[in-house]
Amino acid sequence: MAEPVGAPFTAYIGGMLEEISEGYAHISLQTNAGHADALGNIHTGVLTSLMDSAIGIALGRLRGEGARELEGPHATIEMSTTFYAQASPGDELRIEGRVTSLTQRFAFGEVEARREADGELLAKARLTFAIPGGRD
Amino acid sequence: MSVPADHSPSPFVEMIGAKMEEWHEGYVRMSLVLEQKHTNPNGVMHGGVATSLMDEVLGAVVASIRGMDAMRAAPHATVDMNVSFLAGPRQGDEIVVEGKALKVGRSVAFCEAEVTRRGKGDLIAKGRFTFVIAGSRNG
Repeated sequence: MAEPVGAPFTAYIGGMLEEISEGYAHISLQTNAGHADALGNIHTGVLTSLMDSAIGIALGRLRGEGARELEGPHATIEMSTTFYAQASPGDELRIEGRVTSLTQRFAFGEVEARREADGELLAKARLTFAIPGGRD
Repeated sequence: MSVPADHSPSPFVEMIGAKMEEWHEGYVRMSLVLEQKHTNPNGVMHGGVATSLMDEVLGAVVASIRGMDAMRAAPHATVDMNVSFLAGPRQGDEIVVEGKALKVGRSVAFCEAEVTRRGKGDLIAKGRFTFVIAGSRNG
């Protein structure tokens, strides 16, 4: 059952958490005219915001509930995104992120944004997260 | 300063609530006072706020150089974005987003943007963006 994403900004945009497991998260968004850029396409910032959140959520589940309190929250330090196609208001977006590696100090993730209706790849990103100290 | 109607933010950046501060050929600046809705679960600014505003500012920078008529005839679109996040500003902080073009060619534009904290001036995020100009994708 989908629920609003916990991050206030992602919830404000309208992102819904569809599925979560250790190192994996799926967020959806039913877009509307408020998500548009100056030319009427979906703003790239909508995609990057949801992609960043998807990995952050996947990583949170992988690290475990207590990790945030014990060691502190993880934070995005690098994000590299390629945009392949544009979406239009009214399109439903499907954002799926996976953590590819988690070490003591860093985590890495990959995420794809697709149009739900036809599965077209809209954007792909690689992210690096810093894991705060506490273990050394 | 007053900003012409043509340079008003996009609907999504209106939703975020950022203000256009300056727009002239080759340079655009926006600002935003961070509210709770702009944060992530850690209480710091969500990275998506920075990437959204950097892309907005740079799209405007490229438009300011190409001219509004050229942009409407052959729109430019972001194809690549690389951003480093150096600090996490909090609710109440005001961020300033500035962008400039490194090169605007016939088919590709290369740009960079910075997000800093107003007052302190420390760097929050730095981005390098590449735009493709429509009509050039298929040669």
